[in-house]
Amino acid sequence: MRQIQLTIDDKPVTVDEGISVFDAARIHGIAIPVLCHQQNERPVGVCRVCSVDCGEKVLQASCIRPAENGMKVQTNSDKVKKSRRMIIELLMSDHPSPCARQRNSGDCELETLARIEGVTTSRFAKRVSPRGQDDSSLVISVDHEACILCDRCIRGCDEIRHNDVLGRRGKGYNAGIAFDLNRPMGNSSCVSCGECMVSCPTGALTNKSVVKTVLPNGVPVAVEELKRLPFFQKISGTFLELNANAVIKRHYKAGDIVCREGDYGSTAFYILEGQVDIYLATTMAHVATGGGNTGVFRKMTSHLVTATGTYKAGLASQSHPRSISIDAPVDLAFDNPVGHLGPGDLFGEMTCMSLYPRSATVRATTDCVMLEMLRNVLDVIQRNKTLRAELENNYRRRALDEHLRTVPLFESLSADFIESLASKVELVRLAKGDVICRQGDVADAFYLVRIGFVKVTEQHQGDDLVLAYLGKGSYFGEIGLLANGVRTATVTALDHVELVRIDGTDFQEMLSRFPDIKRDLTAVARGREEQNSRHMASVTQIPLDSFLAQGLMEANSLLLLDLEKCTRCDNCVRACADAHDGVTRLIREGLRFENFLVATSCRQCRDPLCMVGCPVGSIRRRNSLEVVIEDWCVGCGLCARNCPYGNINMHPFDVMVADLDRPGKQKAAIKTKATSCDLCTELAEPSCVYACPHDAAHRVEPNQFFKSYRQKKIAEHS
Amino acid sequence: MRIDRTHRPWMFAALAIFAVALAAYIPYSIASLPRGGSVLGIVYGVVGYGMMLFAALLGVRKKLPVWRLGRAQTWMRGHIWLGLLTLPMILFHAGFTFRGPLTGLLMALLFIVFLSGVIGAAIQHYVPRMMTASIPLETIYEQIPHVRDQLRQEADKLVSVLFAQPEAVPEGVIASAHAGAEKSSAGPATEEMIEMEVEERQAAADVYNTMIVPFLSNPDSGGSPLAKADGARSFFETLRRKLPATTHGVIADLENLCEEERQLTKQKRLYVLLHGWLFVHVPLSIALIVLGAVHAVVALRY
Repeated sequence: MRQIQLTIDDKPVTVDEGISVFDAARIHGIAIPVLCHQQNERPVGVCRVCSVDCGEKVLQASCIRPAENGMKVQTNSDKVKKSRRMIIELLMSDHPSPCARQRNSGDCELETLARIEGVTTSRFAKRVSPRGQDDSSLVISVDHEACILCDRCIRGCDEIRHNDVLGRRGKGYNAGIAFDLNRPMGNSSCVSCGECMVSCPTGALTNKSVVKTVLPNGVPVAVEELKRLPFFQKISGTFLELNANAVIKRHYKAGDIVCREGDYGSTAFYILEGQVDIYLATTMAHVATGGGNTGVFRKMTSHLVTATGTYKAGLASQSHPRSISIDAPVDLAFDNPVGHLGPGDLFGEMTCMSLYPRSATVRATTDCVMLEMLRNVLDVIQRNKTLRAELENNYRRRALDEHLRTVPLFESLSADFIESLASKVELVRLAKGDVICRQGDVADAFYLVRIGFVKVTEQHQGDDLVLAYLGKGSYFGEIGLLANGVRTATVTALDHVELVRIDGTDFQEMLSRFPDIKRDLTAVARGREEQNSRHMASVTQIPLDSFLAQGLMEANSLLLLDLEKCTRCDNCVRACADAHDGVTRLIREGLRFENFLVATSCRQCRDPLCMVGCPVGSIRRRNSLEVVIEDWCVGCGLCARNCPYGNINMHPFDVMVADLDRPGKQKAAIKTKATSCDLCTELAEPSCVYACPHDAAHRVEPNQFFKSYRQKKIAEHS
Repeated sequence: MRIDRTHRPWMFAALAIFAVALAAYIPYSIASLPRGGSVLGIVYGVVGYGMMLFAALLGVRKKLPVWRLGRAQTWMRGHIWLGLLTLPMILFHAGFTFRGPLTGLLMALLFIVFLSGVIGAAIQHYVPRMMTASIPLETIYEQIPHVRDQLRQEADKLVSVLFAQPEAVPEGVIASAHAGAEKSSAGPATEEMIEMEVEERQAAADVYNTMIVPFLSNPDSGGSPLAKADGARSFFETLRRKLPATTHGVIADLENLCEEERQLTKQKRLYVLLHGWLFVHVPLSIALIVLGAVHAVVALRY
């Protein structure tokens, strides 16, 4: 390499030809302040803080100015200092001082430089239009206000990590960094490697405070040890160091309970060694309305019934699924809800990502070693392209067949077809709020919900009307594919959602090969369309202020008590209790609308928020608008908390459960389950209405009822 | 139950039965002296007693609300209209004469049960509407004591910005007032107190402790001006004039609490009215059924 000679700050130096003035100075111990440049990145000269006087007409950014033979450079002349100070002052005028980084660790490079240069205040006005923050990522907090557009993060992402997620958006005052096509960071294809955060000189990209969370009673895992595990090999060491407490190793002895259904948590488990059983410990039972259609005495009783014997026989006539979806790579058979997991399996993703209650109990069957991780770690794992591909392969290999077959319609699919489908399906990952498909779009795929909940809405008079909430094990997209190829509804992710996407072409091939499935799917699609039509038709157009305020318009069915007829005898409450094992699902209190009392009893809402988040999907609609709580409820209470009207209650029941200490024996236990009005669906009429001697209790479709009520009133007055 | 247009079929059916019974009775009474022991007399007795039994079975039906034995309101309509028919049927059976102590007692019981039933039906026709209109803050009857406790606690909490509660006005308040202090120094609670003169604070405490607390503690006793809406309005108006405007919000809240108490009192009264007549009607009905059976056995056997 040819050597050149130049003078920096009156000091003669010799350097290789081609290097920058900045590097020439650095090599000879002369520090030039800089913000946009760091050694492992290509210099771009955007901040101009490193400007030096090379004896030319204007100052030059030293990081991109090649050193030349005989050049005389001044790095600290008055002119240079004045220019640098001006630049820092301009940058500081727009900087939220102290920024997050300065507050947390006191090492914001801009603020440090400002202090050194003596810039305490700025003569320039602050930006009037705020650039905002982006808190969508679980790992990194983005404060666009603190960004100085140095592009270090962009070069880190694109040139060092080759992720190509970060770029620039806008111009002038609107300029900023952007993820993908200006998406929120959490919804972008960012893999959370942390390079941008490490590169950022200010508090624009900082590690979230989740790192301060320490998982209790576990063995901390060294970064080196984690890096030896296949799952963590591709994850940035910087990230793992910053999140040292977010993943721990746990040892379990055979028989130990890892987690219990219904418990709240925020972690996922990855099995390193050993085997576990995953099962529903809560007795498969529920309070059933006494009665039935046969036998005088059957009509008189009600009890907590288990899914065996007579009640089980009754289930056959209902639309129960073949299996129960849980938060694990396996589904549980309805008849025998026990699954098995082993090394390499990850479970608890929904609890970890969306903070839903645990869907099942996990017990170690052998001595086990597991990694328990917080969601920032799980998020990074799921974002990592290599690991994601591995997870997808595992899913295709092990769970796709089972998942497809959980949908009763697909039971008849042949093994060879599923095998051929396995290589074609795509696992789609979505963040909260992401739109999966829009009404009116071309229908190009069929989806199965693998994790999370989606909301199906249809445009109605300018508003989005909720048609359904779908959770794990549900599917959608068939109506558009079967009909005219246009989406009839919009589907949006309600939380962290993972879907199995079957391309339209593969879907059509499946239909042509399996005419039974086509016939059944067509019937389901028709049923859903009819249900949606009924739903839309029932939406009121009556402008009733207090009616709206009470949310009654959102109900499908209201229990109304005509207070001018009701003698407050409470026969309705007693009847409800008698029909449900002594536990009433109706409280004769609530809001009044004119002379009607809207009793505290399930309203069968059009937008049933209670369904969102049920970890085992036990609160659902069968083939009608009635919301029912199925007998595999694990008693977590989420639905009761979600119900805005307080119409779902948790009740303890005495049940017999298997005694783990005495195999083959049973013992009495108390299990809590959710209860809400089931409209006495097993009887012809709700017991409360049937038992009211004063014709005061009515189960009504509110819009229709109040419409005719109003008309009657108007007619009476005229 | 409101006896409205929906009762027409039952009413017409009852009238038709009555008309048939009357049509049979007139020639029968003209031809001979009507007696319970005659064939027609026995028929009237059996039909009348059958109607009583049916009416009495409503109680049993209510005890088995889930049994699919017909809608309870159908039973109730039957109870009302067939129950009404029992009186003429039994009068036709007895030929409007009461011979002997048992039949005399039975007839007396029948009249009382009949009258109490009619009064009860009238009460249950009118009172629910009255209750709905006059008690917007109605609660579940059994919950009234609990709600009252809550109201009392709420009142104590409300007045804590006027003076220290639940204890009487502490010495410190008066002492600091004598020292010229504008604010009380009676502890942390006083920091949030509304500023007012010591005399006014004392007056507020006196009024609360001597008038409002006794009323809230025992609202059913009567005698308090707060027990009536007009009295309460005038009482709180006077209080507003005595105390500074800053306290008027609290006074309005206290007035509302007293109003709620009055409503609960009224609810209790109306509830007792709604169901109190049953204490006469039900036991006497049972006695009537039992003695009626005894009468039938005695009359037929001997």
